[in-house]
Amino acid sequence: MIGITKRFPGVVANSDINITVRRGDVHAIVGENGAGKSTLMKILYGMQKPDEGTIKIQDKQMSFSSPADAIAAGIGMVHQHFMLADNLTVLENVILGSEPTRAGRLNFAEARQRINGISKAYGLDVDPDDLVEHLGVGDRQRVEIIKVLYRGASILILDEPTAVLVPQEVDELFNNLRLMREEGQTIIFISHKLDEVLSLADAITVIRRGTTVATVQPGQVSARDLAQLMVGSELPVPELRESTVTDQVELQVQGLTVLSADGRTVIDDVSFAIHRGEIVGIAGVEGNGQAELVEALMGIRPAEAGRIVLAGQDVTALSTRARREAGIAFIPEDRHRQGLLLESPLWENRILGHQTRPPNTVGLFIDRSGARRDTERIVKDYDVRTPSIDVPASALSGGNQQKLIVGREMSDDPSLLVAAHPTRGVDVGAQAAIWDNLRTARAQGLAVLLISADLDELIGMSDRLKVLLRGRLVADADPRTVTPEDLGSAMTGAASEVGP
Amino acid sequence: MSDLFVAQRTLSLRRLLARLAPHKLLLTLVAPALALLFAALISAIVLVGSGASPLFTYRSMLEFGLKPDQIVNTVNQATTYYLAAIAVAIGFRMNLFNIGVDGQYRLAALLSAFVGGAVHLPAPLHVALIVVVAVTVGAAWASIAGILKVFRGVNEVISTIMLNAIATALGAYLLTTYFSVSVAGSNNIGTKPIGASGRIGGIAFPGTDNRVFGLVFLAVLVGVGFHFLVNRSRFGFDLRATGLSASAAVASGVSVRRMVLLTMAISGGLAGLIGMPQLLGSSYSYSLDFPAGLGFAGIGIALLGRNNPVGIAFGALLFGFLDQSSQILDLNGIPKEIVLIMQGTIVLSVVVAYEIVRRVRIRQQQSAVGTDLATPTEPQEAAA
Amino acid sequence: MRRQRATKLAAVLAVAALAVAGCGKSNSGSGTTPKTGPKVGLAYDIGGRGDKSFNDAAAVGLDKAKTDLKLRIKELSAAPGETDAAKETRLKLLADGGYNPVIAIGFAYSAALAKVAPKYPNVKFAIIDDLAAKGANISNLVFAENEGSFLVGAAAALKSKTKNVGFVGGVQVPLIQKFEAGFKAGVAAVDKSTKVQVKYLTQPPDFTGFNDPAKGKTAAEGMYDGGADIVFAAAGGSGTGVFQAAKAKNKLAIGVDSDQYESASADLKPVIMTSMLKRVDIAVFTFIKDFTDGNFKAGPKVFDLKVDGVGYSKSGGKIDDIVSKLDDYKKQIADGKITVPDK
Repeated sequence: MIGITKRFPGVVANSDINITVRRGDVHAIVGENGAGKSTLMKILYGMQKPDEGTIKIQDKQMSFSSPADAIAAGIGMVHQHFMLADNLTVLENVILGSEPTRAGRLNFAEARQRINGISKAYGLDVDPDDLVEHLGVGDRQRVEIIKVLYRGASILILDEPTAVLVPQEVDELFNNLRLMREEGQTIIFISHKLDEVLSLADAITVIRRGTTVATVQPGQVSARDLAQLMVGSELPVPELRESTVTDQVELQVQGLTVLSADGRTVIDDVSFAIHRGEIVGIAGVEGNGQAELVEALMGIRPAEAGRIVLAGQDVTALSTRARREAGIAFIPEDRHRQGLLLESPLWENRILGHQTRPPNTVGLFIDRSGARRDTERIVKDYDVRTPSIDVPASALSGGNQQKLIVGREMSDDPSLLVAAHPTRGVDVGAQAAIWDNLRTARAQGLAVLLISADLDELIGMSDRLKVLLRGRLVADADPRTVTPEDLGSAMTGAASEVGP
Repeated sequence: MSDLFVAQRTLSLRRLLARLAPHKLLLTLVAPALALLFAALISAIVLVGSGASPLFTYRSMLEFGLKPDQIVNTVNQATTYYLAAIAVAIGFRMNLFNIGVDGQYRLAALLSAFVGGAVHLPAPLHVALIVVVAVTVGAAWASIAGILKVFRGVNEVISTIMLNAIATALGAYLLTTYFSVSVAGSNNIGTKPIGASGRIGGIAFPGTDNRVFGLVFLAVLVGVGFHFLVNRSRFGFDLRATGLSASAAVASGVSVRRMVLLTMAISGGLAGLIGMPQLLGSSYSYSLDFPAGLGFAGIGIALLGRNNPVGIAFGALLFGFLDQSSQILDLNGIPKEIVLIMQGTIVLSVVVAYEIVRRVRIRQQQSAVGTDLATPTEPQEAAA
Repeated sequence: MRRQRATKLAAVLAVAALAVAGCGKSNSGSGTTPKTGPKVGLAYDIGGRGDKSFNDAAAVGLDKAKTDLKLRIKELSAAPGETDAAKETRLKLLADGGYNPVIAIGFAYSAALAKVAPKYPNVKFAIIDDLAAKGANISNLVFAENEGSFLVGAAAALKSKTKNVGFVGGVQVPLIQKFEAGFKAGVAAVDKSTKVQVKYLTQPPDFTGFNDPAKGKTAAEGMYDGGADIVFAAAGGSGTGVFQAAKAKNKLAIGVDSDQYESASADLKPVIMTSMLKRVDIAVFTFIKDFTDGNFKAGPKVFDLKVDGVGYSKSGGKIDDIVSKLDDYKKQIADGKITVPDK
């Protein structure tokens, strides 16, 4: 593989991008969220067509009109969100779509043999006969990688592969990737975690605002240099200054138990309290009950047992709307699914979640001018970059969408904020702004429940930390002393007590 | 300061322009127009295939359809179509598919005709009673599907289709067994005719002694009410939010169960009105030849009108016009079923056109936001 | 989102399918039209010419009038679920077009005709199966369907070996219930112990029961399986399904309206024992003939056994052995010795 040249004038996504990836390299592509990395990879994988520019593999010009073309050319993609069928086995998932047949029948034996061969060669340790639904996140990712290799890929694209992993799993993944590199596989690695990139990559290309800024060797630069290349400025640091914790309990959760739709216990006898002016962080590997805890607090999912008390008032039996009216604000983990009406204009999104309160409504009717005015305020105060409040939410970048949500939820004087992954998938600028907002609100006495997969954020932004594992709060940690590694061990259950 | 001021001025100016932008309006109008043209083209091909001249066909339809008689008939037909489509549309706005509008209005018309025929009251009360009975019956019948969905998880498409069949059987049973009065020598059976106090007079139209349904105003009223309910009320916001993203609506505090129950009932109540113009303005009795299938026509018209009260008005008038003017085709030896093909292709191509426009617009808006933001701002501001 | 769009698409397709399903029939008259002579207009009920039943029977009379009397004709037909206003338009179109007389096929035109006729005092109208629309220029052509059905009922009872017969009605409306009443009376007149199974294919306003052979087949199969060996199909176009069921089960069936032995395909002929005749063709022809002869008469004209307006067919020879018995019943009815109930 000699050269990929790619150039096209996208208005937001990419413009005049040039990247050359050498065969057998781990080539990292870094940039803020929204810089255009994902779009670029989608073009390379045939999911989108460039307006201009060309892709060359080993000097041969390629034109992909679908992922199938890209796969045929030896390009494979491991998506950030796994695309596996839960109720099939690893083997079945891997061969899905490229089933080996003999005389019209599935040839499982041959497939199993090849899968075992691949896992041995690269240290991708997975049992082909396990059901995917029983696998953890790291295992699932390995299945995705095997799937790509099984299809004969020699160029692998990994889109933010470490975003969902704990540090220990990241190390494992990197070992796998190094083995692949030794075998001559080419790996394109997308990330915005600079330490990881520096430890693994052979070459690093930085993208900013849709265009390539520089290609550097890891030995020549520091994480700080890279970060400045990425954002054109200094990186924000998540940190709290002096404590603003008061002795007034704002939220008291007692013995909360929540069941999943199929009757499993997903939150098991959880108790904790949050004081006014305090941020309590919940650490945990995704899928250990965070989503259910949040939904139970918001009244979206019923509590099987236990009590939720907000400022002395028992809200366990209240509806979501009543809880919101009582002062709970909510930043959902998936803003597209739960936080926004993507096709509606910004000012209507301002109303969402606040349908019953001024300035959005007058009696039973919507107060359009009130809502619009207040949206203008949010856009200004929270630096939402948009040409107007009449554009649909889908037209905004992720960071600006999130700033709009934060601004909205900070309105109407909330007393408790449930913030799930508030800075996930937003650029550094927005991240810094959101952290700032949290700090300000905390200083004014807001109680915050912070759930995040970003351990730096958790440690930096929390007054107290709790570790959630399989639906139980298994450990407490002091954010002033704990390291990400310690926290990671606690999250996987390796240690029951964290920190000194 | 002054920079900021200028920036804000340009911003609001741009917003104003964006709202009034001629190309945006153009896109909204051109798309359905092109779709209509496309449907006319397809129909022309079918016409040529069946040996008729498309130009002659369209011309004779226009000439005939614009006669005073037919204008009145078209408006009357459109009135019922409009009510039917609005009843369907309110569900569609929250992704609730009330396919049972047909059964709801038939049952409502039957029971209200029976009640209306059985009592004698002063005029306004008599009419009010009939309408209230119709709305109640429609709402109650639709609510069965709402309750099944909320409490038993039954898909409303399935349950409303089943309820249509049950409404047919139940209606036939009630009509033949309890409600019918026989007219000597007629093979028709129907409810006892509603007395004069329960009837609503028509509006004269020059050039014909056909009369426009007095209840055409009811349709207008329902359209205005629909607009305010959906676009201006809190309920409407919740309704649209649920339609656009159920998960976001739930997170915002909307009780989807409550919305399903309410919306089904409202949709059914509106469905109850569908039969009123015909019943109170023309037939005064529910008999075997009471118009059927209006609920299904309503589905197509709601799609055609994009669930928007003004769009639906155009759709209803168009379908009413096609229905009426098709009569001339038979007389000229052209199969009038061609109109059904036209209606089908119109709905299909308009829906496809809307979808294309929607995508084009999203892309335009995204790139507009992109260009708008790409130019002046420096990243330093972002990290401030 | 995806589900929403898929469902939307499905709804669109369903609408399109409904629309397209309505097509495919054409209803142009047959033969060439003379340039001069009286113009006759005819408005069919749903289904129009080609429904192999009621409307077709009228078409036969019209065609005969056309050739015998050298007429110009125009045929229009109704759409399913249409309003009275549409029917009025249709009748007006014919009257305005200079067609005189105008014949409305089916009671569905009753209300429309009652409104339109007074506006055209110089045009003569006729309506089949309806007495309710009255006027100086309206002739009501009605039939004693119960009398004809009585005879085929008697034939069925005489021929049944299992003492079990069936009645398949197209749509449960008073008109078809009249067939049922006559049929049952005929069966009972022969043998009170013979069982009559009754089934209607659809309920109004669903009129597809007149044109859904699949439903007819299912219903008849059920009756044959239930012990019946002869089924009377008073179900318009759905009758074909009844005949198919009879063939599959190796049983017999009775046709309706016209002599269906003549119109059935060769493989179905053997199962058609007889047909109850309702001579709409005669009614239409006589009306036109009387009109051209200057003998238009307003008011009811009843086509019963006495005038052979109803009856039974003998083609196929399956009932040759009982013709004398049936003719005896016929005479008793015509003489008023037997009164056949009509409901």
